[in-house]
Amino acid sequence: MSSRPHSHRLPRLPHRSRLAAAALLIPLLAGCFASGGGESGKDGDGGSGSRLRVALAFPPAERFSPYGADATLLSRLGVAEGLTTLDANGAAAPALAQSWRQKDARTWVFTLREARFQDGTDVTAAAVADALTRATEAEPEPAALSGVDLTAEADGGRTVTVRTTEPDPVLPLRLSSPSLAVFSGKAYDANGRVDPVGTATGPFELTEVDGASSAVLDRFDDYWGGRAQASGVNARFIADGTARANALRTGEVDIAEAVPVAQAATLDPKTRRDTATTRTTSLLLNAASGPFEDPGLRAAARAAVDTSALAEGVYEGYADPGAGIYGPAVSWAEGKRTEPVGRAEPGRAKGAPVTLATYDNRPELPEVAQVVKQQLEKAGFEVKLEVREYARLESDALDGKFDAVVLARNTLLDTGDPVSVLAGDYTCDGGYNIARLCDEDVDRAVAEAERISDPGKRQDAAMAAEAAVLGSDAVVPLVHQRIITGAGTSVRGVLLDPYERTLVGTGTRR
Amino acid sequence: MRRHLAVLLWRTVLAAVLVCGIGLLPRLSHTDPALTVLKARSAERDPSPEVLADIRAELGLDAGPLSLLGQWLGGLWRGDAGRSWISGGEVVPEVLRALGASLLLMTAALLVAAVTAVLVCARTLRLGSRRRLDGRRAGGGGSAVLAALPEFLVASVLATVVGVQLGWLPALGWYGPQWTVLPALALGLPAGAVLGRLLDDLLPGAFGEPWALATAAQGLPARRVARRAVRRCVPALLPNTGLFVVGLTGGAVAVEQIFDIPGLGRTALQAALAQDLPVLRAGTLALVLLAAVAAGACRLAARLLVGPALRDGALPSLHRPAPPARRLQPLVYGAALLAVVVLALPRDPLALDTAERLRPPSRAHPFGTDALGRDLLARVGHGALDTLLLALGVSAAALCAGVLLGLLPRLSGPLADTVNAVPPVLGALLVTAAVGGGAATPAIAVAAVAWTPLAAHTSALLVQERATAHFAAARGFGAGRWYLLRRELLPAVLPPVVRHALLRLPGIALTLASLGFLGLGAQPPSPEWGLLLAENQPYAERAPWAVLAPAAVLALLGALAVTAAGGVRWPGIRRGPGRRPEDHTSGAVPVRPPSLAKEPVKTR
Repeated sequence: MSSRPHSHRLPRLPHRSRLAAAALLIPLLAGCFASGGGESGKDGDGGSGSRLRVALAFPPAERFSPYGADATLLSRLGVAEGLTTLDANGAAAPALAQSWRQKDARTWVFTLREARFQDGTDVTAAAVADALTRATEAEPEPAALSGVDLTAEADGGRTVTVRTTEPDPVLPLRLSSPSLAVFSGKAYDANGRVDPVGTATGPFELTEVDGASSAVLDRFDDYWGGRAQASGVNARFIADGTARANALRTGEVDIAEAVPVAQAATLDPKTRRDTATTRTTSLLLNAASGPFEDPGLRAAARAAVDTSALAEGVYEGYADPGAGIYGPAVSWAEGKRTEPVGRAEPGRAKGAPVTLATYDNRPELPEVAQVVKQQLEKAGFEVKLEVREYARLESDALDGKFDAVVLARNTLLDTGDPVSVLAGDYTCDGGYNIARLCDEDVDRAVAEAERISDPGKRQDAAMAAEAAVLGSDAVVPLVHQRIITGAGTSVRGVLLDPYERTLVGTGTRR
Repeated sequence: MRRHLAVLLWRTVLAAVLVCGIGLLPRLSHTDPALTVLKARSAERDPSPEVLADIRAELGLDAGPLSLLGQWLGGLWRGDAGRSWISGGEVVPEVLRALGASLLLMTAALLVAAVTAVLVCARTLRLGSRRRLDGRRAGGGGSAVLAALPEFLVASVLATVVGVQLGWLPALGWYGPQWTVLPALALGLPAGAVLGRLLDDLLPGAFGEPWALATAAQGLPARRVARRAVRRCVPALLPNTGLFVVGLTGGAVAVEQIFDIPGLGRTALQAALAQDLPVLRAGTLALVLLAAVAAGACRLAARLLVGPALRDGALPSLHRPAPPARRLQPLVYGAALLAVVVLALPRDPLALDTAERLRPPSRAHPFGTDALGRDLLARVGHGALDTLLLALGVSAAALCAGVLLGLLPRLSGPLADTVNAVPPVLGALLVTAAVGGGAATPAIAVAAVAWTPLAAHTSALLVQERATAHFAAARGFGAGRWYLLRRELLPAVLPPVVRHALLRLPGIALTLASLGFLGLGAQPPSPEWGLLLAENQPYAERAPWAVLAPAAVLALLGALAVTAAGGVRWPGIRRGPGRRPEDHTSGAVPVRPPSLAKEPVKTR
């Protein structure tokens, strides 16, 4: 039998090589897992208080650069802070700056408090001025600084003078933006990158970052606002909403942010907390082309929409029916709201064909759009629905390719100023005008509001502009979302914030 | 040697085309990368012209795709794949880390798949090794149901039930061996069921071969006969296993999301959507390399298993000996499916009523209602026609392309590997860029990938068939190429490949729906089945019926396709004496050229 040797040798070879491969794999395996599992063994380290384990929805996109969206992460985790912060009423409150005054229309003087950076150096006026200057030089510029030219100068040891080329009535609000947080000189490198590890001023110090999957924070004992109760924070970034809810339910984390409405019912009611947010979901009607160019049809669409069906039926009560552009989270808005002006009489749809678009990055939006579709169809429109990923939708939406868009929008944006969202979304020159509204009355009302510096009067003017925008019927507010945060039953002191800028603070513990 | 070089060259050309295609993606799809990168960095940021200009300058986009590609290739030479456009971090460590996690997940899934496959064919193995295959009942319904289950559904059920409610294993994370179990099950069970079905399809042929009778006559234990039969059949499945391995490494997005695994699938998805070209190129290149390695490994393994027989043309043909007894199963499945459709027709699949949301099954709503209060029976029934027609059409196209290309293994092998290695989103984006966003685009995008396992299967069977003694005999009698193809090769190859295509039918229906988020394919509120599953998945725990109904009909479809496909034979052509399937039924040695001595498995 000539093939006999084959038949003996052959079956064994793969077996042996399999063994060898397995032996080679073992040391490799360790590298294939993520580091810093649920418990990192640092418990109790650094004195009293246990560590908080937090599941966040959005991973750092730009390695915690404070000039983009990651700034919000730094702020939510209590790592970084700026000169001011927002209080519950949306007004500027002291943070690193103890007080401030307006010297003239273009100049503001901020007096700093005694504070330390996490690297042990003092927060000096020079350091603050340097940090603000670096932010103005960042490319692309931070959203809070768009359209603003700003210079900061140290003025002695404790005061910083901030000048703008145009009068900026909302400068203290602007400086509360997380992207204008202050870091020590060490954080900045020659290429304009900022490294927030151990260089910020907040109650928690970033010590370790594992790509976009987790981060470790330790308590900063010299924090000006007092020592935090938790000895540190282990943050995990879990993009999937169900997975975040599962992490909380299995006790792997103490706090899970942004639990989707669909998962809320699976959480123990004692672990469920919800807060109103400044995020409004609206139906934007294309006022420049298509059937909704006709104000009568826009009015008909507005009349057809039943917002309470959405708040209860889709959001299961985790939303308030749309009242205006600003929802209940903007606490002053309700009392100052005026009736929409100049509304047209609802016309007859007569089977007008409409393309309704939305995106699925927020899981509730396709459901909202389907309900709206049925409501519009009852009013006589012929509706075609288009659901995409947001990045695939935006440019078409801005180009007016759709007749209507269901969109969730944060109405206080990056500055906490109510007027900027009106200017951006509903004026002829607005950069994010998906409704493609260009209306003289609206433009005039918004321009008026932009000029006013007294906070109260600015709010009044903003509400007058809102009435003008709503009068055009180019936007139909659908619901004001509430954000659901899951927190273990023993967790205390979670900072639920309508502006979504805080989560963990000095008083948060488990 | 020259043949190997040609294949290598062809692979390199394909990889180069792919890398260039990625570079041209923004231009082809008319989407500004500055915009997508900005949105990936910070979704709420208004895309003002100044911001976009800054990003363009930062990334050097104005230099044009060619010079960007040149720079990237120049860096690649030194092992530097550039920096991510989104995060600004180094690409190589990021991609390697994700690849490591994905490879580990894939390895674990492969183990699960192997065990599942063996369990699926356990009955055939037991009966076959004891020579009792005749008149057996047809099986396969159960495994076909398993094969039709979508991975994301298995994953979310495992995470919720085993992870959260029972607390036996961690429900999410990727920190050690126990974290690999649930994701590996979610990926390995359906894939193992597919491989198991394919194996089960070939095994009776192996048991019908003369060596099996001889070993039985020698009195070898049944276990050893079974082992040899598996060894005899596995080479035909190896290319498919290779495709499965590579496909899972880059395409397990849903499972990675549900279990929060930092794998390559999610990295590639994010990079493709944000047009983060350096990461996308590096990730794709890594997958294409992996595909080449996997293909090489599969060829090597096939040679180790049946090499000498292949070389010497000494393989018997793996024809299925006998159709299992005619049976009622497909009729029952078909009737059940039909009943659902008929009952659903008078109902309205689109009428929603949010006051009636998530109602359990009742007299008014036999299948319950979904999250918007729509009747699920109506949705499932009305979705059937669209889903089935489209999936059947795509399957048929994939089958034709797969068989035709499979007949040209040297051309199609590397092509199939490369196409299969491309992350699914990227594939869909490239197809959309090439053919535009028309109504047929999703079907084309799915068919463009769906042919690969069928082609690999065809090629693998073809290699074996060409090495059979009867093929050599036919050639010896002066048969022409066309005759050989028609009378010898296709009759042997086509039936198992057709059964394979039918087995993948439910998977194709799901893939079609998974492209929806790119604005391709069925859009809500269409009751297409894949879409039904996807939109109800978040409610799986609160309203299990909402996912159970579409999953059940999909599984029914899978079972129907597989059991009905049992009857797929080569029609109409009368075979010569000794080649008629009936002759194998009793395992009797058919008339064969006397080359049996060369069979390696025979000699033991």
